[in-house]
Amino acid sequence: MRIKENYMIRSVAGQNIVVPIGDAAIDFNAMISLNDTGTFLWNKMTEETTESALINSLLEEYDVSEAVAAADVSAFVNKLREAKLINE
Amino acid sequence: MKQENKVGELVKNRYVIAGLKTEMALRTGGIAERQAREYLCNFEGEPELFVGLGDEYLQNRHKEYTHLSLDDCEYMWTGALFCQKLLSFEGFMLHASAVVYQGRAYLFSAPSGTGKSTHTSLWCKVFGEDSAYIINDDKPVIRLYGDEIRVCGTPWSGKTDQNRNISVPLQGICFLERSKENWIRPIDTKTAVFRILNQTIRPENGREMGSLLSVLDKLLPRISVFQMGCNISEDAVMTAFDAMSKQ
Repeated sequence: MRIKENYMIRSVAGQNIVVPIGDAAIDFNAMISLNDTGTFLWNKMTEETTESALINSLLEEYDVSEAVAAADVSAFVNKLREAKLINE
Repeated sequence: MKQENKVGELVKNRYVIAGLKTEMALRTGGIAERQAREYLCNFEGEPELFVGLGDEYLQNRHKEYTHLSLDDCEYMWTGALFCQKLLSFEGFMLHASAVVYQGRAYLFSAPSGTGKSTHTSLWCKVFGEDSAYIINDDKPVIRLYGDEIRVCGTPWSGKTDQNRNISVPLQGICFLERSKENWIRPIDTKTAVFRILNQTIRPENGREMGSLLSVLDKLLPRISVFQMGCNISEDAVMTAFDAMSKQ
């Protein structure tokens, strides 16, 4: 899975915000901002990846347990899925 | 002696709009050409931007939007083109009515028909026509000038033709909705970004979006953005002014 084309994150006034570009903007209604972990995961998801690869990346980067990492990744991916931002 | 152009004939002129040296090709006698007259300026050197639609483009828009006259189409699409090019100059247009009071500009934004113009014209009534005036009733420009953030009049001011060729420091932006009782509250950065995106021309690509967000990145830490529910009354004006005039 990966994030669809035409979505970018930008830092605006201290917040990392997801914005749609071009055609993607027409149906986009979600207002999504990302914290540090979310931004980290988003950047990994701009290329084809899997949930387990993401969990491993999180574990490499952050000092968290596997359970926490798995929960974070799952929650994040679901949030993006709900906003229809992912190509499976 | 200058030769008069025939009505409808395309004429190229030099203007300064929102501080930008602009060359525009407009149909003589049309709404766009008439409202742009206040901005005529024979500046020296090369234009910073050019606005021209091309006959084929204009005709195609007219065929697509049959309820609009050719004149309306030219007015709308020259405005859209200026708005798009403005992004390269640290500025953007907000679909809003901008009222000036005590040397500061207050912008009220909302979808068409909500009552932005009604609200700002109430400001003029309440504070007096000598003290408060509309700088642009439809698409004011917000532009960064070094450290300053200013609101500029433009020829694209909507149906009421209220606009002034001046620039004024921005005090605040407020997103309006109708309500029985008057209330106002500040909104957070994320919400402000999306509200603004919804009331400006959609950037077409990543570069344009990046330019717009870069302007907002400088603007939002310094300017308060509000959401307001209002009715039509003097109290609505005072509710807005009291909240927005605080630094």
